[in-house]
Amino acid sequence: MTDHPIVSLRGVTKTYGGIDALADADFDLLQGEIHALVGENGAGKSTLCKLIAGVVTPSAGTISVDGAAVVFATPKDASRRGISMVYQETSLVPQLTVAQNIVLGRERTFNSVRRVRNAARQVLQGLNFKVDPSQLAGSLSAAKRQMVEIARAVLNEARVIIFDEPTAALTPEETDHLFDLMRSLKRKGVSMIFISHALEEALRHSDRITVLRNGRVMTSGPASSFDRSLLIQHMIGDELKEAGRPARAARPALSALPILQVENVRMGNMVNNMSFSVFPGEITGIAGLIGSGRSEVAKVIMGHTKRNFGGGRIWLDGREVRYRLPAQAVADGIAYVSEDRKLDGFFETMSAADNIGLGWLAKFGRRRLRTPLQTMRRLASEWERRLSIRATNLNQPVLSLSGGNQQKVVIAKSLVQNPRLVIFDEPTRGVDVGAIAEIRSIIRGFAESGAGVILISSYLPEILELSDRILVAKSGTIAAEFSRAEASAAKILHAAIH
Amino acid sequence: MAERRTRSAAGGRRQNTLELVVVALTLTLILTFAIFVDGFATPGNLRVVLSNSASLVMLACGMGVVIISRGLDLSLIAQMISGALVFSILVTEGVSAPLALLIAVAAMVLVGLINAWLIAYAEIPAMLATLASAMFISGLFRFAVLQGGFLLLLPKTDPVVVFLAGELLPGISMPVALMALTLLLTWVLLSQTTAGRTIYAMGDNFQAARLTGLQVRTVTIVIYVFAALTALMAGLVTSAASGAVDFRTVTHGSLLFDVILVVVLGGIPLRGGRGGVRNIIIGAALIATMRNGMTLMNFQTQSQDMLKGLVLLAAIIADNYVNPRDAETDTVGDL
Repeated sequence: MTDHPIVSLRGVTKTYGGIDALADADFDLLQGEIHALVGENGAGKSTLCKLIAGVVTPSAGTISVDGAAVVFATPKDASRRGISMVYQETSLVPQLTVAQNIVLGRERTFNSVRRVRNAARQVLQGLNFKVDPSQLAGSLSAAKRQMVEIARAVLNEARVIIFDEPTAALTPEETDHLFDLMRSLKRKGVSMIFISHALEEALRHSDRITVLRNGRVMTSGPASSFDRSLLIQHMIGDELKEAGRPARAARPALSALPILQVENVRMGNMVNNMSFSVFPGEITGIAGLIGSGRSEVAKVIMGHTKRNFGGGRIWLDGREVRYRLPAQAVADGIAYVSEDRKLDGFFETMSAADNIGLGWLAKFGRRRLRTPLQTMRRLASEWERRLSIRATNLNQPVLSLSGGNQQKVVIAKSLVQNPRLVIFDEPTRGVDVGAIAEIRSIIRGFAESGAGVILISSYLPEILELSDRILVAKSGTIAAEFSRAEASAAKILHAAIH
Repeated sequence: MAERRTRSAAGGRRQNTLELVVVALTLTLILTFAIFVDGFATPGNLRVVLSNSASLVMLACGMGVVIISRGLDLSLIAQMISGALVFSILVTEGVSAPLALLIAVAAMVLVGLINAWLIAYAEIPAMLATLASAMFISGLFRFAVLQGGFLLLLPKTDPVVVFLAGELLPGISMPVALMALTLLLTWVLLSQTTAGRTIYAMGDNFQAARLTGLQVRTVTIVIYVFAALTALMAGLVTSAASGAVDFRTVTHGSLLFDVILVVVLGGIPLRGGRGGVRNIIIGAALIATMRNGMTLMNFQTQSQDMLKGLVLLAAIIADNYVNPRDAETDTVGDL
C-alpha cells in the first residue's frame, strides 16, 4: 500500500431533482487499499460509487484517476481506466452461461464456445472459484453470481473494484471467502471500495473507512482509528444514540381465537404446506432465510399471487376466505406493507399526501364517483403527524424523502385503511437508524390497539425485540415456533438453517 | 426471487422539459407560418384549424387516458370507423337518429368492455390485446356490414352531417364545441374522480396499485370504455366532415400514429403515470399547426408524414440536449 491516490474526488456534488445525493465530497482511494464506506441509507454511499464507476455523472466537482481529471460518460469509460463495479443486484445476464457473462463486452467478432469457456475457466481457477463456466448465470446462488462478477472485473484487469453491499446476500462462510479474496486481490495491488451496513465487517476487513451522512463526507481515516460507537456517532451525528432494545414481557393474546388461520398453503415451489395462526393484539414474527417463502405466503393471503396456487385453506375470523384480488383482502381489513417500496410499495411520482390518500381511497372511496380531496388531504396530514413523517410539506414528492420517511408513508398508506391485520414485510429495510426505532414503535402500538400483526423480518434482533410469538420459515414451511420467552437468536438460526 | 434488496435511495427524476420544447416549437412554427404563408394568420383559417383538429383531439383524449394508465389502445381508429359505420348504416336504413346513436354507443361500450376484459381479466398486454381487437373489429365490420367494401357515402340529408355541419353558437362550429366537451370530460375524469386517481396510480406503479387494494379491474373497464366513446365521437365528426365512412383510414392511414404523436409530444410519457389534458392540448396544437401550414403550402401527404417523423425526433433530441441523460436515467427510460 502506498500513499498515492489512484482515484480522488474533489468537491464532487450530485444532484437529483434539486436534492443533493452527494454534496461537495472529497474522497481518496489509495493504491492497494481496502476502503469501507459506511453511513445510513441515503447517506450518499451508492452515489459516490456510481460516480466513480461512471454510472452517473457529477453535477459539480472533479474526479481524477492517477492525478489526471477524467469525465466518465458511461461505465465503459470507467472500465477502460480499470474501474469496475460489482453491483448489489448483480448485473449478470441470466440467460447466458457463466463463461459468456465473464467475457461479456470483450467478445471477438466470432467466438468459439470452447475458447470462451477456457478463458473463463482460467480466470475462475486463478481466483480459486468453484463455479462451472458452462452453467447458466440465472441458476447460480447470490454468492456465486457475485464471484462471477468479480471474475469479470479481474478479466478486465480492473485496478479498482467497487462492491455495493457485497455481503448483504451472503452466508457467514461466503462472507469470509469474499474477504479472503479481497485480501488476495489487494496483494496484487488492486484497490477496493466496499459499502457495508455491518460495522464490524468494515472495522475488521478494511484499511481505511469513510463515513457519510446526508450526502456529506463526515470523516475518513485508518480503520484502526475507529471503533463501533465512534462510527455510529459519525453516522447519525448528535441526533440520537443507537436504538436500545428494551426488554418486554410477553403479553398474553387478547383472545384465544385466531384472527387469521393458514392451513397447508402451497404455491409453486416457494410455499410448501405452510400452516400458522395469528392472534389479535400480538405480533407474530416470521423469521427465516431469504427465499424461505415468507413474502410469497403473504402475497397468497392478500390474493396478489394466484398463479401456481397449489391448494390450502385460509380463514379470517373463522370464515374461510380465498381472495382473487388484493382489493377483496383490503375490503376485509387486511393490509400488506411491501418489502420493496420502489417495486410495489409506493407511487413514486406522487406526493406523500397522495400516497396516503390513495390508501384511504382504495378502501373507503370505492363507491364514490368524485374524489373526496378534502378528506384525503385531512387524513394525510393527520397520519403524517401520527407517524411523524418528516417532509418539508405534504406535496413533496415521496421519492425525495429519506428511506425512513418513505417507509412511514407506505405504512401510513396501509394504516389509513383501518385494517384488522397488517403484514409488515421487512419493515425497516433500507431505513435510516433513527427511523428504525420509530417504525418499530408504530408496529408495536398498532398491535397493542388489538389488531393482528405479522412481522416478516430477516433481521433477528428485530424479530426478537418485537415478536410475541416467533415462527421460523424454512423452504416454504413453518419449521419451528417459539414463545417470546423461549426464543433466542441461536435457536431461531438453528431452526432456519438445519 | 421476490425477496430482493431495495436499491438505495436517491433515484432522480427528470423534469418534463419536452412539454416546454414542444410549446416553443409550436410558437416558432406559428410565427414562421404567419410571416411566410399567405392565409395562415386569418380568423377563417383559425376556424378551419380548430374544426379539422376536433377528431384528432378527441382521439388523443381517449389515447391520453389509456397511456396515463400505462396502457395503449391500438384499436382506437378501428373503433372510430366502426362506430361511425354502425350509426350511419342504421340511419340509412331508416332508424331514428337518437336510437341509432344509442345503438352505436352500446356497440362501442361493448368493444371497450372486450378490450378491458382482455387486459384486466385475461391479462393480455394492452398492446397485443388492442392490436388483435383492432384487426377483428375492422374485419368484422368491413365484411359483415359493408360486404367487403371500404366506403359508405353519406347523403347530404344524413342527420349527423346536418347536425355537425351546423354551429352551436355563431363562430363556434359543432365539432369544436364537441372537442371542448371531450376535453372537459377528460379533465373531469382525470382530476375529479376516484377512477382518475386510480388511473394515475396504475400508470405510476401497477403492482402497488393492486396491492393497495385499488379497483384496478373496474378502472381498466372505465379507461377502455371511455376511449371507445371518444373514438365514436371522433368517428361521427370525421364522417360528417368528409361525407363518408372510409375504412382506408384504418388500413393505410397514419391517423393512429398522429394520435400517439400528439399524446407523446404533449409530454405524456408512454410509461404512464403523468400528464393531463394540458399535455393533450399542447401536443395537438403542434400537430394541428404543422398539418395546416403544410397543407397551405401544398405539401403532399407523404412529405407531411416525413416532416412529422422528423419533428418527433427533433423534439426528443432537443429534450435530451436540454436535459442530458446518464447511464442511470437511460435504463429507466423516459418515453
